[in-house]
Amino acid sequence: MSEAIEFLPPRPAVLSRRAAIIADLADLLPPECLVHEARELVPFETDAFVSYRRLPLAVALPKTTAQVAAVMKYCHRYGVPVVPRGAGTSLSGGAIPQEDAVVLGLSKMSRILEVDYANRTATVQAGVTNLSISEAVGIDGFFYAPDPSSQLACTIGGNIGMNSGGAHCLKYGVTTNNLLGVKMVLVDGSVIELGGKHLDAAGYDLLGLVCGSEGQLGIVTEAVVRLIAKPEGARPVLFGFETSEEAGACVADIIGSGIIPVAIEFMDKPAIEICEAFAQAGYPLDVGALLIVEVEGSDAEMDAMLKNIVEIAGRHGVKTVRESQSATEAALIWKGRKSAFGATGRIADYICMDGTVPLGKLSYVLNRTSEIIDRFGLRVANVFHAGDGNMHPLILFNANDPEDAAKAEEAGNEILKLCVDAGGCLTGEHGVGIEKRDLMRHQYSDADLRQQMAVRSAFDEGWILNPSKVFPLDGRT
Amino acid sequence: MQTSFTPAQLADPHVAESEKILRRCVHCGFCTATCPTYVTLGNELDSPRGRIYLIKDMLENGRPADEEVVTHVDRCLSCLSCVTTCPSGVDYMHLVDHARIHIENTYRRPLMDRLIRGTLAAVLPYPRRFRAALMLAKLGRPFAPLMKRVSALKPFGAMLELAPSSISGASDAAIPGTRPPETKRRGRVAILSGCAQPVLDPGINEATLRLLARLGIEVVVPEGEGCCGALVHHMGREEQALDFARRNVDVWIREIAKGGKDSGFDAIIITASGCGTTIKDYGHMLRLDPEYADKAKKVSSLAKDITEYLSTLDLPKQEPKKLNVAYHSACSMQHGQKITMAPKNLLKAAGFTVRDPAEGHLCCGSAGTYNILQPEISAQLKARKVRNIEATKADVIATGNIGCITQIASGTAIPILHTVELLDWAYGGPKPAKLAAK
Amino acid sequence: MLTPHSESDAAYVIRTAAAEGKTLALRGGGTRAGFGNAVEPAQSVSSRGLSGIVDYEPAEMVMTVKAGTPVAEIEAALTANRQMMAFEPMDHRGIMGTSGEPTIGGVFAANVSGPRRFVAGAARDSLLGICFINGQGEAIRAGGRVMKNVTGLDLVKLLAGSQGTLGFLTEVTFRVLPVPQTVETIAISGLDDAAAAKAMAAAMALPVEVSGAAHLPQTVKSRFIGGALPEGEATVLRLEGLAASVSVRAGKLAAVMEAFGPITRLGPEESLMLWREIRDVHPYADGTLKPLWRVSVGPSVGHQLVAALRLEAGVDAFYDWQGGLIWMRMEADPEAELLRRYIRALGGGHATLLRASDAMRAHAPAFEPLPDAVAALSARVKQKLDPAGIFNPGKMG
Repeated sequence: MSEAIEFLPPRPAVLSRRAAIIADLADLLPPECLVHEARELVPFETDAFVSYRRLPLAVALPKTTAQVAAVMKYCHRYGVPVVPRGAGTSLSGGAIPQEDAVVLGLSKMSRILEVDYANRTATVQAGVTNLSISEAVGIDGFFYAPDPSSQLACTIGGNIGMNSGGAHCLKYGVTTNNLLGVKMVLVDGSVIELGGKHLDAAGYDLLGLVCGSEGQLGIVTEAVVRLIAKPEGARPVLFGFETSEEAGACVADIIGSGIIPVAIEFMDKPAIEICEAFAQAGYPLDVGALLIVEVEGSDAEMDAMLKNIVEIAGRHGVKTVRESQSATEAALIWKGRKSAFGATGRIADYICMDGTVPLGKLSYVLNRTSEIIDRFGLRVANVFHAGDGNMHPLILFNANDPEDAAKAEEAGNEILKLCVDAGGCLTGEHGVGIEKRDLMRHQYSDADLRQQMAVRSAFDEGWILNPSKVFPLDGRT
Repeated sequence: MQTSFTPAQLADPHVAESEKILRRCVHCGFCTATCPTYVTLGNELDSPRGRIYLIKDMLENGRPADEEVVTHVDRCLSCLSCVTTCPSGVDYMHLVDHARIHIENTYRRPLMDRLIRGTLAAVLPYPRRFRAALMLAKLGRPFAPLMKRVSALKPFGAMLELAPSSISGASDAAIPGTRPPETKRRGRVAILSGCAQPVLDPGINEATLRLLARLGIEVVVPEGEGCCGALVHHMGREEQALDFARRNVDVWIREIAKGGKDSGFDAIIITASGCGTTIKDYGHMLRLDPEYADKAKKVSSLAKDITEYLSTLDLPKQEPKKLNVAYHSACSMQHGQKITMAPKNLLKAAGFTVRDPAEGHLCCGSAGTYNILQPEISAQLKARKVRNIEATKADVIATGNIGCITQIASGTAIPILHTVELLDWAYGGPKPAKLAAK
Repeated sequence: MLTPHSESDAAYVIRTAAAEGKTLALRGGGTRAGFGNAVEPAQSVSSRGLSGIVDYEPAEMVMTVKAGTPVAEIEAALTANRQMMAFEPMDHRGIMGTSGEPTIGGVFAANVSGPRRFVAGAARDSLLGICFINGQGEAIRAGGRVMKNVTGLDLVKLLAGSQGTLGFLTEVTFRVLPVPQTVETIAISGLDDAAAAKAMAAAMALPVEVSGAAHLPQTVKSRFIGGALPEGEATVLRLEGLAASVSVRAGKLAAVMEAFGPITRLGPEESLMLWREIRDVHPYADGTLKPLWRVSVGPSVGHQLVAALRLEAGVDAFYDWQGGLIWMRMEADPEAELLRRYIRALGGGHATLLRASDAMRAHAPAFEPLPDAVAALSARVKQKLDPAGIFNPGKMG
């Protein structure tokens, strides 16, 4: 376990009342909705950012908004920190608890409440998984567009917390662009609704502010999301290049030419090998870099677009061009890509970075990333959303070797700073969480951060919502 | 994932293996989404990731199992849906096997729990005892509702309800001996008669023998084999399971030797995918037994599900029949043995219209003795499965595992058959009795 | 009027006003003057001194400009590179009867979006980064210049549409998109409002990427494209993209829409004009101060709202955004209360009084009143950005 990033010290007043707090929560929740036995708390000590772990005080798994509100009201009254949790798939530690915190897990609130095709919306509970929405409406020709790689497991509540993106966001936007409304429990237990089936906010765009706020402003319990008619067809095409530079330049040229594919994904050699080992999707193994470019529409449209893209790729010395020949093959290509992080677990432990850089800087940042990794004597696999410059270097290391783990963390920090210095940002879609909290000052001035924190405190003056995350611990207001 | 075991702990080969498995897990959480118990209960403790963590904590600390760990590991169906999902290749199957053995060795269950498990382990694997017990169950059925109201007796109630209303006598299909092919011989196989299946539904192996005979396959029903060990294996009763495994290995190795060099088996045919998963794992189960390791590996490599074997025979395409078949893939079939397309392709080639129910990856709740030991979760999963199957508006359900057949049949009026029974019919055998009205 | 020429000047002006407790009206080109609740701040600060394109990378589809830059200047630069602002900001001068140059700061401060909004997002969805001066005179940066960015709280969204009540925008960075190669419109004739809602929902369920869906009833129809739309009400659906693709999609869309009514296909020129006029609410750009409402509701209930109102008052309206955006003129006086009551009854949404006589503005809140808890929260948020309450106090309620 790493120790480089501090958590807030537990509040003694909370720890000393542990038994009373659990007894009180037991009055508010049915027995199957409260976890407090020491051994049962262990699996909640971390999320998908396993470098850091903290046991929570208790875990509440409410089934209704009213129960969420009751727990929130109680915790607010007694100053007990609350850490919201969806499926616990955060790669930045957004759902890692702390010793004095109640984890508020939304996993029992996993129903799709309404599908409304006339308005193209789905109203869902926050614990619904991202993919299950598309699965529920797919048969009628619709889908929910943001598709984080963890979409099989991650929840809409978590997606809202992190403003999650995904491969297909190049065309369809990220969560905030597809979210129409939420029902949300405020820190004092009051319940508000923001937005709905209509567009735009009546007053301030609080919905826009809540999206991506990492559980710091309240607990979203329901959401209204936008459904989109599925395209007639979609075709991922594999473009293999000798070098990452060629692939990077090709991406810039595709976008620059005015063609916007639905997705442009990049993998370097190590990533190709890892994904192919899991998915057997037919990725070419003899290339240095791979682009998965997806186009969609009717066959005629896809053909027309692809013709242009193939031509551009040709100018960048593309080595292999392979179109998927069937829906099964297309699914395998995406399965490989979307499992990239997990599949990396087959060869090593890893931490997954999530910086975004301007498109023109992709090659530069890739090269500098290799230099950093080499300097630390580590290995890296690169797989990322190239179309919007969202990079995901996977730094490989040995978690059972503390020195190696520390090096990986340091290298990661350097890479993220590099992204900021190149004109990008610390996180494209995974959120700041605990992981990037102390790097915030690299991207923002004191005044910028003060302003964000001030707005945060308009929602939660006592800083009990997910308090160890996002904002550096010093200088909080 | 980081682990912390001492070198002394790692000296135990079981711990060493589990440590290796745990190291692969990156805690990504994908497995939660396809886990039937997580989907039903919404608590990470009842998900693969939660159980992995609980097991890790228990093993690292070298602790005996406690009530909490036992509760959540017991709720695991061992459906292995998580193994299909896991991108990191975490071998959850052998990890949870280890945990179950550890529980069995270090935890004293409450009296009623011990009683019911003891009964199951002493009865189910033995066809004669099982048949006798079913006779008794018929008498006991009126008491089932009563038993279901007393928490400790719930498993007994569930057991009574699952018992079929008519019980067939011992089947000819289980009588040892060699069945010659009806046409020119093009293969030779052994078949597993099994334990519970011939009692609950002897028609399955009868259909298999008929079909294989017509296809020119010589089938040996070996003398002396019995339960594959899966039932007790999943209860963590490792010694008993290994004894079953060794006995079957002995039988098959003996039969292979008998046939001489040229007339070994092309395959050991298994018609219950639950057994298939276990027999294919004999090589692993007996890896630490120097006397059996190689033999077991050989047996595992020969083990084939009937549909897997039939796929190699190039069955001719048949005229389309006007019958919609909902194919239910048993967990042991799709997750345990990764056989997904073969049964459906066979059915399609045989002229049936195959429909895939939604949420096909989710378990029906049968899972060996799970429907007896965890009747509440099992009932919810059964209801969900039946809902998805009935939504396909199928005329008949096909599947490849006796456990699923018993479980699903108790929840729907749509007839349910083993895939091989439909294939036998399509390729010249009698029409299955359950389809008389269709 | 104060016209700072640099970020630091602007910060100074605002710091001073805050110290003196003087209220400020934040202005761009003044083309939306008269919008919002009538307020009379002590002074005005204009962004017009902060003008010019700072950075434009066509290949990255990102533009950074100073907030007072005229929209026309930006559009010229974009057009030269065959790019555009996908959210189609409307020009308010027609309906508001104003003159002056719309500025990009004003566009984002009012979150102004046109017909493509319901599929391509609002102005706020294209806005990637901002610099603004908060109520204490501090220069604050939020967001950045990359499309994906979830670093910290999204103050960008908060400031977008805040009507100059939270901060004074000095610089904005936004995403742009390629101009579609061509555009075509399918017009279905003779549908009443309810049938049109059904037709538009059916069109949106097809995989043809409709990028505009409006319904123009009899009362307004003749005022579009010089009266060239065919007989009867017009339900219009826009398709954009590569020429080859548009013609294929138009064929598919027309084939389905035929079931609803007679089809007319409009080519690129007529289409461009039509959708610009829809964007700018051309029929109501009539030089009057007759109250004009902009209503946003769920697309399927827009026509129900109008039908319900018609039982109680004369209503003239047309629909954009698949029926979810209603541009509406009503005859009765107590219209605000009535309209808002029906919106609530139909599942929620909001009505904004865009244009009205001074007398009416004095008693009808321009913006949809918020539920108490949300109003209180909004007030706290405002207090955190503008503690002294100097930016357009009362403008949004």
